[in-house]
Amino acid sequence: MKRIVQAALALALLSLTPMASPLGSSTAWAADSSFGAGLTGTETTRISELLAKPETYVGKVVRVEGLVTDVCAKRGCWVAIASDQEFQTLRFKVKDGDMVFTPDVKGRKGVFEGVFNRYELSVEQAVEQAKHHAEEQGQAFDPSTVTGPEVWYQLDGTGAVVR
Amino acid sequence: MTAPPAGRHLPWRKWNNLLHRDLGYLAVGLTLVYAVSGIAVNHTHDWNPSFRYVRQTETFTPLVVTDRETLVTELVQALDLPGPPRESFRSAPHLVQLFYDGWSVEADVLAGTALVERPRERLVLRDLNRLHLNHLRGLWTWAADAYAGVLAFLAVSGMFVLKGKKGLSGRGKWLVGAGVLVPVVAIVWARYFGA
Repeated sequence: MKRIVQAALALALLSLTPMASPLGSSTAWAADSSFGAGLTGTETTRISELLAKPETYVGKVVRVEGLVTDVCAKRGCWVAIASDQEFQTLRFKVKDGDMVFTPDVKGRKGVFEGVFNRYELSVEQAVEQAKHHAEEQGQAFDPSTVTGPEVWYQLDGTGAVVR
Repeated sequence: MTAPPAGRHLPWRKWNNLLHRDLGYLAVGLTLVYAVSGIAVNHTHDWNPSFRYVRQTETFTPLVVTDRETLVTELVQALDLPGPPRESFRSAPHLVQLFYDGWSVEADVLAGTALVERPRERLVLRDLNRLHLNHLRGLWTWAADAYAGVLAFLAVSGMFVLKGKKGLSGRGKWLVGAGVLVPVVAIVWARYFGA
């Protein structure tokens, strides 16, 4: 009996060892590069085009490509995608648990598909959202940075592949 | 457990108790996995149950805002970074992000500050969460389904382990009722009074 328990403990420890590796050196992460329902469309829309003529695309399923510049630090429930133009990003948001983006997607390129939606935020809602975002990312929050009501566009995600 | 006399069937309660006991032993490992991970993932509003972030602030002599390539080169020198980044991006003219394998730097070149961010896996906990949340999919889905079936059996068979005052017909029915009430009250509350 003692030997069986010892063997079981040894096996358990052995199986956990590679999983304890620091980020960036674990090959297990590569398996997480496909998210959600995968990709269905073939045509890619440039983020700069979406943001230049948002009303044309609101409510439509669109597919974008780009570099992941940020990821939700707590739940992995969104990523920010760099536009093809500097100083622009688009948020790709998923319902909690539908897809969980791991921190290693930051700095990697990917293809993202979802419904492009418009959200109108009152000043209070905009402050609340900015505060929530800062808390999630472990950053300081200054309410004065939110100056008025905001119109917010994001891709409500259905699938993604990060390379 | 002693064997029944020849020619007699093992009474159903003996079978129940025998299966309850042995399946209970079998379920110990996964129950602990789900219990520990369950607590961890219940609190995702407060923390990331699978990763932690090591953040370090660095300072450097502020730079003149120019094009991205030039700023990246200057930042690599100013912060003594280990070579050019794999990718870079600017979210604003003075805010430059440098991406390396598994870590990143976000610099405000006008303020002369940079945040170096290194995410790390939470030891063991991340793997428990992957099992709990079925990130492995495939065969693990079957294993998790089988475990759920075993748990359901343990719950039902557990009610019939004892007879008499300490069994289901005694205080057991009150405790079972109280336990069932917990999710019922939560559902009614959520549906009619909560979010």
